Amino acid sequence: MPVLLAYCSYSYSSEEVYGTTINAANIGLNWVMSNILPQATGLTVNNVIYRYTTEKDPEADMLVHVQNENAQGNGYIFRSTDDWSGLPGNSINKTIPVGGIGIDFWGDGSIEVEGFGTVLDPEVYYTYQYVPCDNPQSDPECPGYIDPLTLIQEPEIDTSSEEYIQAELDRETNMKSQKEEEEKEARNKFAKATEEKVRDSLEKMLGLSIGAGLQEAQDTLLHNALVSTNYLPRGYFGQIKGGEYPDAEMLKDSDLPDNANGRRVNFAQDIMHQKIVQSQYD
Amino acid sequence: MKKLFILLFCAFSAQAAQMEVMGNVASKCVVTPDTAGVFGNPTSDVLSTDPTDGGVDPVVRFDVIQASSYKARISYPTAFSASPTLNDTVVWTGDVATSQVSDTSMSGYDAAKVEFDNVTEFSLTVAGSTWFKTESQADYGYGKAFPGGVYRAIVSAECIAI
Repeated sequence: MPVLLAYCSYSYSSEEVYGTTINAANIGLNWVMSNILPQATGLTVNNVIYRYTTEKDPEADMLVHVQNENAQGNGYIFRSTDDWSGLPGNSINKTIPVGGIGIDFWGDGSIEVEGFGTVLDPEVYYTYQYVPCDNPQSDPECPGYIDPLTLIQEPEIDTSSEEYIQAELDRETNMKSQKEEEEKEARNKFAKATEEKVRDSLEKMLGLSIGAGLQEAQDTLLHNALVSTNYLPRGYFGQIKGGEYPDAEMLKDSDLPDNANGRRVNFAQDIMHQKIVQSQYD
Repeated sequence: MKKLFILLFCAFSAQAAQMEVMGNVASKCVVTPDTAGVFGNPTSDVLSTDPTDGGVDPVVRFDVIQASSYKARISYPTAFSASPTLNDTVVWTGDVATSQVSDTSMSGYDAAKVEFDNVTEFSLTVAGSTWFKTESQADYGYGKAFPGGVYRAIVSAECIAI
């Protein structure tokens, strides 16, 4: 029995799988190869089989290209052209060996029509082969398969040990102090930014900013130019005597009587106000 | 040494020999039945392979390795190979045409075909595979119903060297 099992395992890993895809052109004249070929490591395509029917005027020129882009470069990895020019329409059925081209080269496929005519009932199939366990990680059944979970599994830790408890406490302390430090740094940063803002606004207010300095220089130049024209009045250059100008007391506190006319106006305003307020409830 | 050679030569030249020449000719034209035909019975007096009548046209494939060396000769049936007893005449009609081609140039086969009686001949001027479908219809008597039973007919396809 063990011998038989060993044989089965061996045959699984070495037996090549041969297959044919579904009709790649079943939903249109363009198809994505990753949806058509099985995504197996080491898969190679051996043949392209295609069939379609053309409907055309026998006199008309018509070229039909069945093709696959080269996924590893420019151009096409496969291209078969049928020239129907000057021929009546018919159904064509072709099998083209491609000699085992790797899956990585097969870009998106299409049927392209040049000239006048229509392609009907297109069918495109790819025959392929691959070794299922070429990459042991492709299937858990493959010999040599390594469970990825076992690679990242952490070693078991004795959480009751003193060392573990101490390490956890240290870690928490470190985290706490780190957090406090970060908060302190954020506070300092905010304070610094606020201080700079206030300083800027004060400089602006006091005309100490660079803009204000430039304005002052321009003013001086303008002033000098005006003085040189000699058009300024003489009083402009006169000195005003400085000194202290104390407040002159004009009104002494006394009994001020109410204004009877003002009362009427006051009442009228009150009535109007009440009317307006009342109007929103009516 | 020289003398020995001459002697040997003389000895050989004096003998007579017969040699057999063998050759094996593999056919470069292969005929393969592709689709079995089925008679539909759209009306009681008609048996037809036309898909619109519920039938299936038989298809035969000719694989030619060498171009312009063969012709395909296909005949639609003119009698049942097996059927219930028929007391009235059966009128046969049919047509043979390309169904699929492996090369666009074969598309011209239909225009160049030669028809006589129930036979159609195609010159296979292009190497590759050509599928020919044979349509046939049997009409019994003058609107007379076919007796119940199984009906069989034979389409013959030959590849003839030109």
